[in-house]
Amino acid sequence: MSARYLARQSAQAAFTIVMIVLLNFLLFRMMPGSPDRVNPRNPNITAEQREAAKARWGLDKPLIPDQLVAFVGSTLQGDLGYSMKFQGQSVVKVIGDRFWPTILLIGLAELIAIVLGLALGAYTGWRRGGLADRIGNGLSLILYSMPYFVIGMPLIIIFAAGLGLFPTSGMLTAGASYDGPLDFLADLVSHLVLPVATISLGLIGGYSILMRSSVTETRAEDYIATARAKGLTDGKILRSHAIPNALLPAVTLIAINLGYVVGGAITAEIVFNWPGLGTLTVDALNSRDYPVLQGIFLFLGVSVVVANFAADVVYGYLDPRVRR
Amino acid sequence: MTAAPVSPAGVRRARWRLRVRNARAFGRRYAARTDGVVGAAILVFFAALALAPALFVGPLQTVTIATAGALEPPSSAHLLGTDEVGRDLLNLTVHGARVSMVIGLLATLITILLGAIIGIVSGFVGGRSDQVLMRFTDFFLVLPTFVLAIVLAPLILDIVGTDAEVFGIRATLMVIIVVIGVTSWASTARVIRSQTLSVRERMFVDRARVIGGSRAHIMRRHILPNVVNLIVANTVLTFAGAIFTETTLSFIGLGDPFAPSWGQLLNAAQGSGAPGLGAWWYIAPPAFCVVVVILAFTLVGNALDDVLNPKAGIRR
Repeated sequence: MSARYLARQSAQAAFTIVMIVLLNFLLFRMMPGSPDRVNPRNPNITAEQREAAKARWGLDKPLIPDQLVAFVGSTLQGDLGYSMKFQGQSVVKVIGDRFWPTILLIGLAELIAIVLGLALGAYTGWRRGGLADRIGNGLSLILYSMPYFVIGMPLIIIFAAGLGLFPTSGMLTAGASYDGPLDFLADLVSHLVLPVATISLGLIGGYSILMRSSVTETRAEDYIATARAKGLTDGKILRSHAIPNALLPAVTLIAINLGYVVGGAITAEIVFNWPGLGTLTVDALNSRDYPVLQGIFLFLGVSVVVANFAADVVYGYLDPRVRR
Repeated sequence: MTAAPVSPAGVRRARWRLRVRNARAFGRRYAARTDGVVGAAILVFFAALALAPALFVGPLQTVTIATAGALEPPSSAHLLGTDEVGRDLLNLTVHGARVSMVIGLLATLITILLGAIIGIVSGFVGGRSDQVLMRFTDFFLVLPTFVLAIVLAPLILDIVGTDAEVFGIRATLMVIIVVIGVTSWASTARVIRSQTLSVRERMFVDRARVIGGSRAHIMRRHILPNVVNLIVANTVLTFAGAIFTETTLSFIGLGDPFAPSWGQLLNAAQGSGAPGLGAWWYIAPPAFCVVVVILAFTLVGNALDDVLNPKAGIRR
């Protein structure tokens, strides 16, 4: 891989991260509640006390460069400030506590959605125009039009409230004591089924549409005609010639989208009250916990940029045509 | 050989005939797309609901005038049942059409306006301005804009207050509109720019430049008409995305309880514990409407894209 390609991709990723940090700084300054704006309503606070408060927070210094340098410096050191709602806890700890439940949920859902979505897309793309394609593609378009909570709420009504097969919310039964690790695992899995199904269904539509158009494009290539002329069976051509070549662009697009899924799946966590980053985001939103909101934005923004960068580099390695 | 007599009126007539012929050709090709026709019919139905909801179900019911019991299942008096304070769900859902569609429409207009202007200027002017604008666009493309919307919306609301009104639209709704608009224009700008790049190289642009047309004039009269097909198809697809985002933002609590959209109704359903109580009639109507409308916009958008965009035909 050429050094120029790598350098260009890294420069772009670095630029985006710098912009995200700058945006975070700007948003922080816009936010209501500086000592100047809050305290004039209180007659017991003198001008000196107000000045002291501003000096204590560093607000007496000019916005640029002093405040900006301090902000960027502490962001680089991993100091994102303190949560307003969970008093005394740092933003990093609050986010860290909610990180793994989300990764568990999204990771499982992604795995299932990638396998099922790509299989459905490959099949409908190969049988383009046939009955299977019309049904499969129609289904994909409908799923693609459904926000996660629109999928999740009916699932709860049918399988949790109606049939009583699964619990309606949470990650573990509240106050349960477990006989062993297997017991614990069973409880976790029964809580996982519905939210994982929700996110998988939400993703399958998009992935299937993607793979369908990729397979359709591949189908018109000369090597497919060659394989057919050689007398290979239809299934054999699909498996060993069409799918491997169609997979590359589809998987790259999925990799790029990985970072966005966490943001999109927020509503699925809300519906099932899953203790992850999504419920944290909405809790922070409702209690106007700006430091946590900005921490989540920074974290998700940087993850997306890193995922993009990784996908670009891997794609550039696998497909020499993009390495200009 | 004698030259055909050219008069301004004759040119106008010829141009008019050409337009009518193009419109007819477009109509024929669009009518051949069953999915597009079905989508358009669905959208006409919902547009009628949105234009005059009171005509179908009377004025919007509020907590104070609601008379029925809480969470009643569908009956002959309330065809779709009632919500947790006894309001009729048929009434709420039909009125929700107006809120959802108006937010979607205005957010789409902002998105397309920003995307088209940035795309055309970037592609036509080129050079340094193009580079700066495209870096800016890439930044918005990469950014998880949905999360940015969640951060921006409460911030703006806290600054302007929830009681304010802008152009007769409540501030809460206006904030959602603006936030969707400023976070989703980037892909439109990219698409329009690439089309502008190819239109810019055509001969008639050179001719216009030679006879002294200014850059603004060329962009308005020569570039814009040649990318307008792309803008139309993009608008319809953006509309689907705007309604999707509006529904999601309202669902997580950024909607306006006094002007309930479908997302806001689903938020209230979630808040009252309707899923766990098995109150399917509270969730089904707004959820059904959201999915059907987004699906219809997607179908119409795809059909328009195929019919209007000459390149799309070759791919298939």
